[in-house]
Amino acid sequence: MARRYDSRTTIFSPEGRLYQIEYAMEAISHAGTVLGVLAKDGVVLAAEKKITGKLLDLSIVKEGGYGGSGEKIFLVNNNVICGVAGITADANSLVNYARSAAQRHLFSYNEDIPVEQLTQILCDLKQGYTQYGGLRPFGVSLLYAGYDPHYKFQLYHSDPSGNYSGWKATCIGANNGTAQSLLKQEYKDEITVEEAVALVIKVMSKTMDSTTLGSEKLEFATLTLDAATQAPKAKIYRPAEVDALLEKHGIAKKDDESEMKP
Amino acid sequence: MSIMSYNGGSIVAMVGKDCVAIASDLRLGNQALTIATNFEKVFPVTDRLYVGLPGLATDVVTLRERFRFRVNMYTIKEEREIEPETFAHLVSSTLYERRFGPYFVEPVIAGLEKGTNKPFIATTDLIGCLTLPKDFAVAGTASDKLFGVAEGLWEPDLEPEDLFETISQTLMNAVDRDAFSGWGAIVHLITPDQVITRTLKARMD
Amino acid sequence: MECSFAITGKDYVLVASDTNAARSIIKMKSDEDKTKILSPHLVMTYSGEPGDTVQFAEYVERNIRLQHIRNIHELRPSSSAAWIRRSLADSLRSRHPYSVNLLLGGYDAATDTPKLYWIDYLGTLAEVPFAAHGYGSYFALSLLDRYHNPEASLEEGVATLKRCISEVQKRLVVNLETFKVRVVDKDGVREIEL
Repeated sequence: MARRYDSRTTIFSPEGRLYQIEYAMEAISHAGTVLGVLAKDGVVLAAEKKITGKLLDLSIVKEGGYGGSGEKIFLVNNNVICGVAGITADANSLVNYARSAAQRHLFSYNEDIPVEQLTQILCDLKQGYTQYGGLRPFGVSLLYAGYDPHYKFQLYHSDPSGNYSGWKATCIGANNGTAQSLLKQEYKDEITVEEAVALVIKVMSKTMDSTTLGSEKLEFATLTLDAATQAPKAKIYRPAEVDALLEKHGIAKKDDESEMKP
Repeated sequence: MSIMSYNGGSIVAMVGKDCVAIASDLRLGNQALTIATNFEKVFPVTDRLYVGLPGLATDVVTLRERFRFRVNMYTIKEEREIEPETFAHLVSSTLYERRFGPYFVEPVIAGLEKGTNKPFIATTDLIGCLTLPKDFAVAGTASDKLFGVAEGLWEPDLEPEDLFETISQTLMNAVDRDAFSGWGAIVHLITPDQVITRTLKARMD
Repeated sequence: MECSFAITGKDYVLVASDTNAARSIIKMKSDEDKTKILSPHLVMTYSGEPGDTVQFAEYVERNIRLQHIRNIHELRPSSSAAWIRRSLADSLRSRHPYSVNLLLGGYDAATDTPKLYWIDYLGTLAEVPFAAHGYGSYFALSLLDRYHNPEASLEEGVATLKRCISEVQKRLVVNLETFKVRVVDKDGVREIEL
């Protein structure tokens, strides 16, 4: 009987549920894990990459660009980075939309867009696809890490229904339940970025499917304030930097295990 | 009274040896009445590329914001910074879009090319017709005076500090003869490894 | 023949506008409030073409209010100024441009600084320590060049503002009897009786 109510996004089932939305969320819970931790002096994002393989051309990632491989973590604006879990193609389209929205705000108000406002703009779009007929919803959850002068550092999560909420630490994608309970245990208020980085790596290493961590499976980013200018500064780690970071925290994989070796 | 000189203001850019400089005055006026003496007309585009926008002040601000929008979208999509020559064409096309109702601004562009550190300067008229001089570029209400002084002071292959002195003297002496420009000046000296920005003590009358 | 002034001091901005509503050579009203409180920490004086002024001021007022309601926090003074400026700049190249000149005074709670913006009908925007519109600007600006002190207390600021007003009342051919004066600081906007 359920078939009658899940073929279209806009129709409620008799129990008052929107099946397509729930399926979208189900899809996301199989996607690569994305983890976010809010610290008092910054925000940390980490993500598990699913698309790997030694034939994948990552030459751009090593040199130009912003450091991300373009799969999980994106620079949205000067003051916002986001991590995505779900259908990558949908995510790309949403990131593009977010970047334009951020620039339109800068154009109209001559200020970086406040983080919650950007989250809201994306959620308005996502909500639209749960109500208007003929279209499927975005199969994407996002974590937004950002800074604005109103509420300083912030971390938001949004899901395919268009709901969003602010977090001190949260996780989306595969194994998010495990990660969240780990975060709940380990998180403490007044945490610094340094500690948050360590926490993120620790939780990531425990939740990821693979036994060892390496840059071919992990994306990593931080958002902090520039010491000199007090302007927000996003840093998406390059593969070499990710490996160096993992080395520092003593959970880097050994070289002979690398499937990415040229 | 021309609309181009309603608010006043002047810009000059000069080529040196592996460096460029761009400078402007700081006056914002309403015809003969001075409203503000902190009105900057030169804006950073990237770390090594600047654009100066003399002309009608409302269009100065609007264009600055439009250029910033287009450059940011370019940067985030291309995942690299815009090159001076590319930016010059972006300026040109933005202005020509308004061919029959133009922005009343005559931009001056100054920057260093990536890799080669080759200096690049350019000017356009208010509808976006590009000119690419080898030596210096001037615009604004004191442009006629700037041409004269720059012609006399500029020489090829100036080192950064000499270029700074040349552009500063050129600007200050030109705007002192112009009633619509002046009230202090700001100079940006772009070298391969840094940009030096200095505000000049000039005649404040 | 309208006249408005604004000056910044230590942690406050004072704005003042004359209170005449005239039509041609006739004074229709002498207690017109030509200032508008846009949000708890933002106040504006407006002058220009009768009709346009009130229409545009209310348009701005409602939009800034909407921003405040939607986003819980107020729009910052610099962002408000940029938005208002863009409205006027867009209007300038429309079929019926608004002919309105503004002084925008605000207190930025995020950085604890007073902000003053001079905006004209073309969409020219300048952040300034003191500002004036109308014929009064020819007297007041030179006077303020001499007497303005960005670190002045509120009493000193009001005294300086009074000098501007009395200068205009002394030298300008039209008689601008009364001025509406408002101050904005960290506690918000309030009126000041001279």
